[in-house]
Amino acid sequence: MRKAELVEMAAAAGLPRLSDKHLDQLEKSADSARELAQKLPKDLHWSEELSLTFRLPRPTGEEPK
Amino acid sequence: MSDLAFLSITEASRRMRTGKLSPISYTEALLDRIQRLNERFHAFIRTTPDLAMAAARQAEREIGAGNWRGPLHGVPFALKDIIDWSGLPTTAHSKLLADNIAASDAVVSGRLKAAGAIMMGKLATHEFAIGGPSFDLPWPPAVNPWGGKHFPGGSSSGSGVALAAGLIPAALGTDTGGSVRNPASMCAIVGMKPTYGLVSRRGVFPLANSLDHVGPMTRNVRDNALLLQVLAGHDGDDPGSAEVPIPDYAAGLEEGVKGVRIGLVRHFYADDCHAHPEQIAALDQAAEVLRSLGAGVEEVRLAPLDEYATATRIIIRCEAFAIHRQWLATRPEDYGDLARQRILDGAVVSAADYIDALRLRARLTRQTLAAFADIDVALTASNMDPTCPIDDAEACARLYARQARQPFNITGQPALAMPAGFTQDGLPLSLQLIGQPFGEAMVYRVAAAYERATAWTERHPPGV
Repeated sequence: MRKAELVEMAAAAGLPRLSDKHLDQLEKSADSARELAQKLPKDLHWSEELSLTFRLPRPTGEEPK
Repeated sequence: MSDLAFLSITEASRRMRTGKLSPISYTEALLDRIQRLNERFHAFIRTTPDLAMAAARQAEREIGAGNWRGPLHGVPFALKDIIDWSGLPTTAHSKLLADNIAASDAVVSGRLKAAGAIMMGKLATHEFAIGGPSFDLPWPPAVNPWGGKHFPGGSSSGSGVALAAGLIPAALGTDTGGSVRNPASMCAIVGMKPTYGLVSRRGVFPLANSLDHVGPMTRNVRDNALLLQVLAGHDGDDPGSAEVPIPDYAAGLEEGVKGVRIGLVRHFYADDCHAHPEQIAALDQAAEVLRSLGAGVEEVRLAPLDEYATATRIIIRCEAFAIHRQWLATRPEDYGDLARQRILDGAVVSAADYIDALRLRARLTRQTLAAFADIDVALTASNMDPTCPIDDAEACARLYARQARQPFNITGQPALAMPAGFTQDGLPLSLQLIGQPFGEAMVYRVAAAYERATAWTERHPPGV
């Protein structure tokens, strides 16, 4: 990857102060991220997403139905 | 001294309660030992002798007056240095936090203080609990007392080393992708990652909030149960904290395993990842030992190890980057190379991949808990290999990739690592026991039965 592309990638991630050595590390990160993404199963569905649910205290004296 | 160095919490507590051991003498002896040996093992990055002696004097007064607080009263311990202790620096082993003084205690620190335990200092970790053994940080990495200059595992490396070297009988570690169980495995001690939410993380520097756990590390199973007893409990200010009844973790330790259903997850270490032959033999032998003690041991299949690893790695990268991005934006040069690399990894993961990793996590959790419907505990590998020289960076990195701990950070189940023998070269081998959510008592019961049958936890590093 060209240095200009890496600088752009760093800027997009909010990292304006990376040195050349750090940009080399970012390039390794990008390669590794691509590799990992390929390992994700292809049949994952939104219905499998975790949800946050409200947990309200049970009203006093009321038995669960 | 060697008698005091490797004294269990259980025995030390008994002696102190009956007046046969002075908390002051015990603390002094261990402080002296730390002073002599820390230069060799680098387990501690900071000792707190004044704090320790003040607490020891208080414990001596209280126990002498009949005001015994419990099994941790007068017992020395130390904290991985991402855990706050009011008035002390919490550095995360990093230049970035070298001057960061904790304003208050972490919840777990407060619980240990209330139990009358003796704070001895702060322990080495991988920088921000990520990366690996690094030589470009303000403090050197901890070195394993087993073998020559070997890697002790991490990231709770100082905790594992301090226990194995007989410097303290109790330590706390943290575990996001295996960081309590890895040093436990490599240092031949006992480390428990409790169920997600059982132990508060408030006051602990996070690595990846949805996977972070605080866990007890000790030299034997009973001590571990006693330490968890003090740590466990609801904290309304930790959003991940669970409100569940806390059982007596030591109550069932002598009950044995007759009739206990154990699932052997053999494909993790024999097929998905080909473990070192001596490690495979140790695990198969452990299954035989448990069978001979009356447990029903049957093979069970979980999802392939690689699927858990993929989800874990993506989630840790993204959550860690979210925590560190301000510092990476302004002070990237202040990180060590290894931690910077690991944290930068999260800068380039797409949001869609992170969401997919969460979906995968939910799927794997459902599948894993379904497989646990017919078993009480699972047995599998923790590490796939014995440890390696600490200055061999490639070998250390390989060890991280070859493990079976991440699945239970993904599912949140309790998982304990303990010694399962030694290689012909004298390096520790290990096993991992996994329970139902909040099933720590059953995990301890099985671990205690195995420990009694094998006595691996009674071995200490030669020449230490």
